[in-house]
Amino acid sequence: MSMNRIVSIMLLLFVLEGALMPWIIPDGFGDRIIPHFIFVIVIYSALYGNRHLALMLGAGFGLLQDVVYYGHLLGLHFFTMGLIGYFTGVLLERKRATVMMAITIIGFACLLYDTSLFYIYKVFRITDSSYAWALLHYILPSLFLQLAFALACYIPVRRMFESRGKTAMDGDEE
Amino acid sequence: MFMLMIGLILFIAIIGFSLSDRKELTWPEKFLKDTSGYVQQWFYKPAGSIAGFFEDLRNLRTVYEENEQLRLMAAAYARDKVEYNFVKKENERLQKDLNFTEQQKRMNDYNYLIAHVISVSNDANNRTMNINLGSKHGIKPNMAVTTVDGLVGLVSSVTPFTSTITPITELSEESPTNGSIAATIQGREDESFGILSSYNKETGRLVMTRIAETDKMEIGDTVITSGLGGIYPRGIRVGTVETKEVGDFGLTYTASVKLFTSFDHLTEVFVVQPSESEEQAE
Repeated sequence: MSMNRIVSIMLLLFVLEGALMPWIIPDGFGDRIIPHFIFVIVIYSALYGNRHLALMLGAGFGLLQDVVYYGHLLGLHFFTMGLIGYFTGVLLERKRATVMMAITIIGFACLLYDTSLFYIYKVFRITDSSYAWALLHYILPSLFLQLAFALACYIPVRRMFESRGKTAMDGDEE
Repeated sequence: MFMLMIGLILFIAIIGFSLSDRKELTWPEKFLKDTSGYVQQWFYKPAGSIAGFFEDLRNLRTVYEENEQLRLMAAAYARDKVEYNFVKKENERLQKDLNFTEQQKRMNDYNYLIAHVISVSNDANNRTMNINLGSKHGIKPNMAVTTVDGLVGLVSSVTPFTSTITPITELSEESPTNGSIAATIQGREDESFGILSSYNKETGRLVMTRIAETDKMEIGDTVITSGLGGIYPRGIRVGTVETKEVGDFGLTYTASVKLFTSFDHLTEVFVVQPSESEEQAE
């Protein structure tokens, strides 16, 4: 699958994440269950594509999110999403991860992502809550949403990135 | 390692740039925000109306009671309206007698612009919302945003066709990016005073500080904005007083305020636009 297709699918997902998900999450849970679907796709791209692709997608969509929802800081998602995507790629891009392994890695990556976001906000004194509270209040509840999403889109997303890898390789051979 | 270094330098540069006191967004930001806003409004509104339909079905039972209450309120409103007209005329006459300038007279004239929410941020510590009105429609940064229930927040940045709202749940005394709101109590506007200085995320309540010892504020009172301080207009409902206790230094009181607005499933919001002559004076 071509790069254009991947980016346009992710753009659609980005739009849905901001415009549709607030309606699907039940009333009263809006600040507890927070979707990070783009991040899940970035980790998939690191697992089944390669680390440079993950870095590019993570940094690009992170920056997009920073700009569109600019409130306090710019560059936060750009940095964390790109970096976590890249290092997941460095560690695991050569292993063909099974479904259980992929889900586990995505779970840990989401925890790392939310934790680093929390601590960067804490450094700039934008939040004054404690980490234990943040963990129980929104990081863990939203982790379940991310895992459910990761499981639901595992097959199409894996096919998408692997077919891209294959066509790229064929192109090299020619 | 090289990657990490470059990333870190870029990250700090961008953060430094965004924290600097800048009045306007750069054009790439405006372009991105307008484009995504344009696409997102196709999704948010239909999703909202579908969800709203199911909510309406669920609420069908309570409609009768609500109707009864609204009828009572309408009767009370009709009574008050007569009173209001008299007081307004009287006030205008007095202002004329006292030679108020045109600007002073118009100080509390506000214009309400209806806007639709088009997307909500998915970051727990930055719950901004985008609306479908921008500088082309007369929106400017620092305008207050309300719903029919109460205060929502401030417009924090504007592009030609969309603007971003920072909700009052982002209010914090220590944060470099947000100010405080001067508030008072409905019914005792000239006696009570307090400052809504921060939002406690762990309890979900606004913290109101610097309440005078002699203040007769009671639990259950309605908190409204006082209009002092210039940013927020006068008389917007914020919430109810839930607790009141002696503050940090024992000289003033601190109260916690439960908000009227629920920030989930917001659709229509009102941007409060100050009247024209006041802007010219600025």
